[in-house]
Amino acid sequence: MAESAELLPGTLDLLILKSVSLGRLHGYGVLLRIEQITGGALQVQQGALYPALYRLEHQGLIESEWGVSDNNRRAKFYRLTAAGRKRLGEEVAGWNRLADAIALALRTTPREI
Amino acid sequence: MNGLLARARSLWRGLLRPGRLAADMEEEMRFHVEMEAERLARERGLPPAEARRQAAVAFGGIENHKEQGRDARGLTWIHGLSLDLRLGLRMLVKYPGLAGVGVLGMAVAIGFGAGLFSFVAAVVDPALPLDEGHRIVAVQNLDAARNDQARETQLHDLAAWREGLRAVEELGAYRTVDRNLLTPDGRAEPLRIAEMSASGFRVARVPPLLGRWLVDEDERPGAPPVVVVGYDVWQRRFAGDPGVVGRTLRLGNDVHTVVGVMPEGFAFPVNNRLWAPLRLDPLVFERGEAPPIDVFGRLAPGATLEQAQAQLEILGRRTAAAHPDTHRHVRPRVLPYARSFIDAPELAWALYLVQLLGSLLLGVIAVNVAILVYARTAARAGEIAVRLALGAGRARVVAQLFAEALVLSLAAAAVGLVGAGVWARQANAYMDRMAGEQVPFWWKIALSGNTVAYVVGLAVLGAVIVGVIPALKATGPRVQSTLRALGGGTGMRMGRTWTFLVVAQVAAAVAILPPTTALAWQELFPAGAAAPDFDAEGIFTAGLGMDRETPPGAEAERYEREFAARLAARQAELAARVEAEPGVAAATYVGGVTGGVIEVEGPRPGAESTRHGVRYLEVDPGVFDAFGAAFLAGRVFRPEDLAGAPTAVVVNRSFAEQVLGGAALGRRFRYVRAEDGALPGGTEAGAWYEVVGVVEDFPVELPYRWEGVGTLYHPAAPGRLDPATLVVRTRGVAPEGFAARLREVTTALDPTLRLGEVRSVSHQQREEARTRRLLTLGILVAVLSVVLLSAAGIHALMSFTVAQRRREIGIRMALGAHPRRLLASVFARALRQLGAGAALGGLLGSAAIAGGEDGAGQAAGLLLAVAALMLTVGMLAALGPARRGLRIQPMEALRED
Repeated sequence: MAESAELLPGTLDLLILKSVSLGRLHGYGVLLRIEQITGGALQVQQGALYPALYRLEHQGLIESEWGVSDNNRRAKFYRLTAAGRKRLGEEVAGWNRLADAIALALRTTPREI
Repeated sequence: MNGLLARARSLWRGLLRPGRLAADMEEEMRFHVEMEAERLARERGLPPAEARRQAAVAFGGIENHKEQGRDARGLTWIHGLSLDLRLGLRMLVKYPGLAGVGVLGMAVAIGFGAGLFSFVAAVVDPALPLDEGHRIVAVQNLDAARNDQARETQLHDLAAWREGLRAVEELGAYRTVDRNLLTPDGRAEPLRIAEMSASGFRVARVPPLLGRWLVDEDERPGAPPVVVVGYDVWQRRFAGDPGVVGRTLRLGNDVHTVVGVMPEGFAFPVNNRLWAPLRLDPLVFERGEAPPIDVFGRLAPGATLEQAQAQLEILGRRTAAAHPDTHRHVRPRVLPYARSFIDAPELAWALYLVQLLGSLLLGVIAVNVAILVYARTAARAGEIAVRLALGAGRARVVAQLFAEALVLSLAAAAVGLVGAGVWARQANAYMDRMAGEQVPFWWKIALSGNTVAYVVGLAVLGAVIVGVIPALKATGPRVQSTLRALGGGTGMRMGRTWTFLVVAQVAAAVAILPPTTALAWQELFPAGAAAPDFDAEGIFTAGLGMDRETPPGAEAERYEREFAARLAARQAELAARVEAEPGVAAATYVGGVTGGVIEVEGPRPGAESTRHGVRYLEVDPGVFDAFGAAFLAGRVFRPEDLAGAPTAVVVNRSFAEQVLGGAALGRRFRYVRAEDGALPGGTEAGAWYEVVGVVEDFPVELPYRWEGVGTLYHPAAPGRLDPATLVVRTRGVAPEGFAARLREVTTALDPTLRLGEVRSVSHQQREEARTRRLLTLGILVAVLSVVLLSAAGIHALMSFTVAQRRREIGIRMALGAHPRRLLASVFARALRQLGAGAALGGLLGSAAIAGGEDGAGQAAGLLLAVAALMLTVGMLAALGPARRGLRIQPMEALRED
């Protein structure tokens, strides 16, 4: 397993939105998907996932419905809404700007000043 | 916007089905834990029980996550609020005195606000209680040359509008005429009848209960005369006969066939109970000489008021061009029918202002309640400080105190709303009784959904004043020191603030109450001159009119002449026949009371003339005799006074004393302004009148405020009074039987004579006394609630300030002070505070009373009484805590530190 990293504050929402944007998922599936798409590098505290999901649903960024899981169990599935898709785009752009800026800053050598 | 909607939806779901939400979250999280357990068992080969245990540990507390989930949906604070509301209810029960006084005071204010609101709404924004009533419109003419005053509408206008006004359909008209309704049982009753186009029924869209509406065919000249009757006419005059259709009734001399009965409550177009076809033929009248009518219609489907107005303006210009002599300045307009009786935007603003000021009353009372609540909040300072120390946010504590106040003010709002409802019913009934058929049927004061919303708004405002302001003060920076002082039990130390509040409270109560009460009292019971012994027993009055036709053009003048002659003959004959009845002493006539301004010639040649507002009326010369009014000077009217344009005048004692300074005979005056335009006696403008007699005060316009009100009596020639009031003085007749007999005599003489309601003067005096008593009761309740509130406020303030000195008292006791001296010191301080307040209030109050004219004596007495009451209440309030202070064990007092 790769070395795991702490989740930066505020990034959980972004990761949830991204996971759900790849297809409809139940809560546990979101957890697995995050682990999968981060190559297992980011650990999400399991219980903390749900308040975040409810918050996003309350904001109308994702919506939920009851369905049947792969192993034929009743489960609640989440899906990205149009507002959520828009928000994801903004968040991704914002994140990329930040990452570029940080990376640029960290690459700077004394000679470049 | 979308986000907001989603939030509201999710909040709503959480509120509506909290159990379902919790179960959903629980199931979802269990599913998660089980999936994780299965994975652990699969990937790490753990035994199922151990896998489940590890999964549960990794997940954390489900309840905790659920709580966070609720939080994420914004539900927590609502649960907190409902808890606070329950707490608030408990507080009300725990402090019944505070609750009672607070609720009563705020209920009076909120009820007053609600009543005012519904009244203003009824006047400013009336609604027609008919199907799509807002699309029913009136079409009127305005006179551009006379400041856009309303101008008569006539048949020719209606004809033009019917042709060109496409945006309004079912255009029709009505006029009201007074007729004597006679049924086969022989009873007569004057009624205001609507002569209405058949389209009026189609506009109103109310199906008949029996038979049919009027139809266009009924309007054709020569068609059989028919009427539609209203529910109560049907019940009252036909005993609800289901076969009434086809029966006949008489309107004056004319027989009509009943063709339909309208359901209960139907009163279109004004407030009518009987409808006849409008049979005015525009062809027989000259343009400009037809009788006036009122025009209504309904907006065509899809059409707007603006389109209708635009079409109407085109028509108006066309008519103005075609008939410049009559219509050059006429501008037609269309407006919602419900507003066609009062449509004055400036009135609306004035009313809104009154409403705003009325709402301020709540502010004043709420501040008073806030003082009470503050005293209690201060007593709970320890509790609040501990809660803050334990980590409750300030907002959370303020929210709790707000919720407590909200419970109080909502209770007050409920009481106030009920009170306003009772008042509205009374007011509507009163309006019905007093103005009956003249008041449009939709002018009803009703507590609508808007009123309830307004009241809830007032309640929230009250709760903010009562709860939030004390809470903000109680949770301010001071709290830190409160917490430190908690062990010492001294509570809040704010001597100066409390002293100020006590003084201000007492001063306000003493200064405001007596002048207000005195003012209200004077309104209700005007002092005036001592009422002479007027014997109202046995005097009856009733309006008397005679059915009048509106013949076209050339015939009109002749008809008017004949009408006047016939009226004179009938009135004289009726008076004679009534006087011949057993028990009748006299029968005579008076006209309506009008107001005006006169210019009185100076008492001596060369002396300056003066102007006065007066009330005057025309009377039959026999009136003084009929009322038994004694002459103080001069003479009664003589026959020669009636010839031509009479200029002789009799004045009453009050007029002689107030306006003419006693010496009245021979004084001359002329009218500068007369309210209804025409001068009494039909004299020409500027003519001089001369006082020929002075009579003792007696009631003519019955009977409100007649004592001490100056009145001028002008003589009326026979037949001049139309309508007249018949006045009959009797001895020992039973009122009920006499009224019926009077009606029989009148109808037998001429069925077109309309005798109005027969009222006995003494009965009216009793009615009015009852109304005054009710009003007084209302004022008393309001004043009492303010007094109570003030007393409670003073009580709370006093007991609180004295309670603060409890420890000091205990220590001084321990040091050997004598109880009597301690009490004296406590009371001296209380007395100083109360006395200062009373003195200040007394000063302000006296100034207010001195500003007024009369009633100063009573007001001053009242002032002393209120001051004494406040002092007593304050001292009593100080007594309890002082005695508790004396009872405290010295050691206990010392230990408290």
